Amino acid sequence: MCIDSQMLSAYLDGELPEPYRTQVEEHLEHCAACRKHLCDMKALDERVKAATFSDELLLRNKDRMFSLLDKKYFESGKKVSFIRRRLEVSVPSLVTAAAAVVFIFIGGFMFFGTSSEQTEDILPSFALQADSSNVHYVSDNVGLENYTLEEILQYLDSKGYNVDISIKGLQPLETAPAQN
Amino acid sequence: MEIKSTDRDDFRRIYDDNYHLIVQVIMHIVYNIEIAEDLTQEAFERFYIKNMTFPGEDDAKYWLIRVAKNLALNHVRRNKREIEMVEKVRHNPASSLEGRDAAQSAVEADERRAVRAAVDSLPENLRMVIQLKEYSGLDYKSIAKVLGISETNVKVRVYRARKKLEEALMTEDRDVY
Repeated sequence: MCIDSQMLSAYLDGELPEPYRTQVEEHLEHCAACRKHLCDMKALDERVKAATFSDELLLRNKDRMFSLLDKKYFESGKKVSFIRRRLEVSVPSLVTAAAAVVFIFIGGFMFFGTSSEQTEDILPSFALQADSSNVHYVSDNVGLENYTLEEILQYLDSKGYNVDISIKGLQPLETAPAQN
Repeated sequence: MEIKSTDRDDFRRIYDDNYHLIVQVIMHIVYNIEIAEDLTQEAFERFYIKNMTFPGEDDAKYWLIRVAKNLALNHVRRNKREIEMVEKVRHNPASSLEGRDAAQSAVEADERRAVRAAVDSLPENLRMVIQLKEYSGLDYKSIAKVLGISETNVKVRVYRARKKLEEALMTEDRDVY
């Protein structure tokens, strides 16, 4: 009976333990079919092995990569945790940071008022549109009702408006009739 | 001897002894030297960053091979759309670095291409075993440790891979002649 192919495959790789190895060798001596089978297997192995890549190609950046890693991790005596913490920035915090930058930029115009000259210095192309006269408060939680009438009048007065207030439909307070 | 991945001397030794192996393992999965180098660097960076202690050099080696293999397989899976490009690179392996005598290298390139295509067509579990055996020179025991399977399983997979490769390459030869 001929040798099982799987056994022959292990034999070829030098992975067949005794006593099987000796048995296989003895069988191979007088069985041409198995010798041919082994020979074919070996040839296939060599074909596969030959499809490797040259050392020249594989090792072309070995030294360069090592000095890069050496510099990155060993030369400056950095600690692992420090590197990891520095590299790992989560997406939400990035978005928050980006939003904050935009908010501060726009807020700069909104809260501190603008004039064409100031804006001209920062963003020339934006200066025309970003004048105070074109920028309005859009927040709706600061309405006119938050101010007393007196404050409104003072404000308008300071701006040089001539305010004339007339009150209609005013009725005298009901006073308790004299009980005589 | 114990290996500490953040120790400079240990790192250097592991790097020197295993760079060739690691870049080769990856190269036979991605078939592109630039990508293979990037992933090799990534594997060694992970080795350092993980800050691990290995009982011996072999354990560090098996760990690195495992990481390299997974990085490469993940890369291929993620970049299925670019596979055609990789294919082109694989089918044009006669780069100046590999070329010798033009005619001879053309024949050799054809042969290499056929074999690589055959190896590539194997199911992943067979392909990894045969690649680790043929290109990395690992024995059954080491392959078993890298892949986390038994030695018997390695033996069976090697045999099955051989059988399939034989079929694939014989079909190819019939197609050509």
